[in-house]
Amino acid sequence: MKLTSREQLAAWLDALMERATVIAPRQVECGGGSGTHLLLYQPVASSAEVVFDFQRTAMSPKGYFLPSTEVLFEIEKRSNEVTLDEALPQDEQVLFAIRPCDARGLRVLDALLVEHEPADAYYAQRRRNTTLVGLACPHLWPECFCTAIGGAPDDSADVDIMLYEVDGGYLVSEITEKGTALLAGLNAEETDQPAPVSDRSGPSVPVLAPEAWPALFNELYWARLSDRCLSCHACTYVCPTCRCFDVRDYTRAAGPNGIHIERLRSWDSCMAAAYRRIAGGHNPRPSKMHRLRNRYYCKFNYCPQDFGAVACVGCGRCIAVCPVGIDITEMLGEVAALAATLEERGKGKG
Amino acid sequence: MSESIQTALRTRARELLELGEVSCVIGYERSPRGRVRPAFIYEPADADRLVWDNTCHHNLMVYLHDRKTPPRRGEEVPRVAVVAKPCDVRALNVLLHEGQIAREKVFVIGVACAGMCEEGTEELQARCRRCRERVPIFYDALVGEPPKVTAVDEDWADVVELEGMSAAERLAFWTREFDRCIRCYACRQACPGCYCFECMAEQVDPLWVGIAIELPEKAFFHVMRAYHLAGRCVECNACELACPMHIPLSLLNRKIAKEVEALFGYRAGGDPQTPPPLATFRKDEELPL
Amino acid sequence: MNERDNPLRPYPGRLVGIKNIAQDIKLFQIELKDGQPFDYRPGQFAFLSAFGVGEAPFGLASTAERSPVLEFAINRIGTVTDALHSLEPGAVVGVRGPLGNWFPLEEIKGRNVVVLGGGIGGAPLRPVIHSILDHRDDYGKLTILWAARTPSLLIFTDEYEQWAAAPDTELHVTVDEGDERWSGHVGLITQLLERVAPSPENAVAIICGPPIMIKFTLLTLEKLKFQPQQMLMTLEAKMKCGIGKCGRCNMGEKFVCVHGPVFWYTEVARFLESFV
Repeated sequence: MKLTSREQLAAWLDALMERATVIAPRQVECGGGSGTHLLLYQPVASSAEVVFDFQRTAMSPKGYFLPSTEVLFEIEKRSNEVTLDEALPQDEQVLFAIRPCDARGLRVLDALLVEHEPADAYYAQRRRNTTLVGLACPHLWPECFCTAIGGAPDDSADVDIMLYEVDGGYLVSEITEKGTALLAGLNAEETDQPAPVSDRSGPSVPVLAPEAWPALFNELYWARLSDRCLSCHACTYVCPTCRCFDVRDYTRAAGPNGIHIERLRSWDSCMAAAYRRIAGGHNPRPSKMHRLRNRYYCKFNYCPQDFGAVACVGCGRCIAVCPVGIDITEMLGEVAALAATLEERGKGKG
Repeated sequence: MSESIQTALRTRARELLELGEVSCVIGYERSPRGRVRPAFIYEPADADRLVWDNTCHHNLMVYLHDRKTPPRRGEEVPRVAVVAKPCDVRALNVLLHEGQIAREKVFVIGVACAGMCEEGTEELQARCRRCRERVPIFYDALVGEPPKVTAVDEDWADVVELEGMSAAERLAFWTREFDRCIRCYACRQACPGCYCFECMAEQVDPLWVGIAIELPEKAFFHVMRAYHLAGRCVECNACELACPMHIPLSLLNRKIAKEVEALFGYRAGGDPQTPPPLATFRKDEELPL
Repeated sequence: MNERDNPLRPYPGRLVGIKNIAQDIKLFQIELKDGQPFDYRPGQFAFLSAFGVGEAPFGLASTAERSPVLEFAINRIGTVTDALHSLEPGAVVGVRGPLGNWFPLEEIKGRNVVVLGGGIGGAPLRPVIHSILDHRDDYGKLTILWAARTPSLLIFTDEYEQWAAAPDTELHVTVDEGDERWSGHVGLITQLLERVAPSPENAVAIICGPPIMIKFTLLTLEKLKFQPQQMLMTLEAKMKCGIGKCGRCNMGEKFVCVHGPVFWYTEVARFLESFV
């Protein structure tokens, strides 16, 4: 364990920026001077831009691994010949001050996009090219429920370096070799001070086991829950584990020597009405009840079966962002209660 | 005042459900976290979940879209009751003019409204300070007494400030704002005026916008949406309040509302008789364009 | 990085033949360039790219045994298919595959097979028919029920004679609506199925067609005492990746692209309510 000051950490970050893209929490002004702000992970040009004291960013950092839009292929087409170039990302990235829940979100995405073969080449490359510098939360923030879902505010399992804020600066824990390599150049002193233990008290949210979900699939509850859903994409886009995407070609330039095409991949959302509509018009998830239910089943029932991971890390962003107050923790509580009721009723019959 | 409105709302909702007048009452409730959110009441016993205060900002008319077409072929559309502020009723008026909703399918519980507050403050939203009607222009039942609030004059100050910028400054301003957009469509989905089965932003044949979540697509989407709301936006601010990226969408809509008012002397949804100008064609019409 | 490591990479293929086989339906014959290996089985699918528009998944309509080229029967219905239909022989398209699982033709050897194809849904069933006809002794009776909305939408009409002439094979064709030249059966495939009433004894039914056809065909088969473990189907879903990543084609925890497109009814029965 090492001890360093915020100034030394800042100097180290500034030096890192010479050779890698440093992505860190940054305050973004909104509404043309109306005084509102958003905190977002963004590439920073100087440590002066980095916000060290924060709760949660508005968006998860998943976009630095699965960008909201990326070029998959550059395609040149001339008469009857086509050439394709892979546009694989090359940049070295450092993600500074990633929270344990977001790092855990990347573990979920790894399971889906890398470990479940064949691996997604673009995501995998960005993961390889990125070093994660974690920053422990001293406690849970409003809407957070990581502890209810197997995480912890000081969980260092999914980062390369873990920082803990202490009196006089930060304790630095090297978790992986990649992390150790990145730390070369950090001015810090060795210490035997133990890492502070975060306050893990948080809301008690019962999370039903994956195998208990199918019995509830046809309950009226889902229709009632989705009544207020607007079918917007906000919850899925802020989510650290939602990864649905769309792919399409864009013709960028056309001339006598042929056309230049980009095959783009962009985020898409299972909440969208047309998400599943096929060319003939048939839509297997025609109502928002079908779609919202599918989103929650995907997280708590399907992903555990298909990829071995619950696709929720308790970051609370979907709760904070929902314009109409749909709350995943409330849903989990109600679903657990519903399951208990059904089980009681079943016993009564038996 | 809020409390008596709340009591009256609950009583009315309970009655409507008990008499079988409606299948559901759409109003507001308080979430376990203490924030007000839309509520759907199906049972008379649940009517006491309804609340009323100065944070009931959601425009509930957006939920009437879900109910305008029969869910399955031949199935009757159930009649619903909806709690409506004066601005919400203007949105409903737009939908009625556009033939989107059958009036007899909606029981309007109008609420006399003293205005909604900015989130987390006791300060009235700017649009509410300017509001010219404290009682809805129509309703099936009215709850509350017309509040004694004097509206401040509409001076379009925010729009005028924008108009005062150079084109380059304005472009820089909107570029900065639209750049944050994540194309989550919360603005569109929260908007009662956005009810297209297939939005031009998602249409692939022809492809107007494309799937990229990049600045050109974002800007195009927002500008097109604002145009599609010309003469139709009632300034309920549902879009802006839903936006997770705090984009000042109402400013964009107000610029167009100002133009429409100057050209046609028309305020969207303002009266039940006058059809919206952009849905009307007059052969002799000449505009000072 | 090895090109093979990017599962989203399409490989260039040349359109060597395009045949009109029904109204707005063409059979595309594609030869992969540079000897790219493509080892596929009946039931699998591939993504075809119309460069400049995008890619979409299509069931393979050929068997490697019969055809040296890849064949796809494609209905002009969306942007990608529209672009494919506008191509001329010689054009280059992208091919990504083969993807998905296949019909368990080994497993069902020795059994009677009832093939039910509706409209363009007949395309992925053609390899099943070809395989059974090419190994006729390995299977019991083959009953083909073939349907389309109108006579002009019937696909592979030039092969009917050959199918019907094969030993121990019956072909029954129907259209929802006939025309002045049509002298065959008129009615839904379910009505035809009830009339033909194939025995469920030692039989397997294989279905592909539009969702509504699958739904009612399954019901009719149940009436004929077919058990869920005797019904196989191949499903269509919107897809973007074909490798279980994009999240678009799930039906419960099953992805049509990797767990399917071929499913036993028993695997998906509880999801079909929302799917069809």
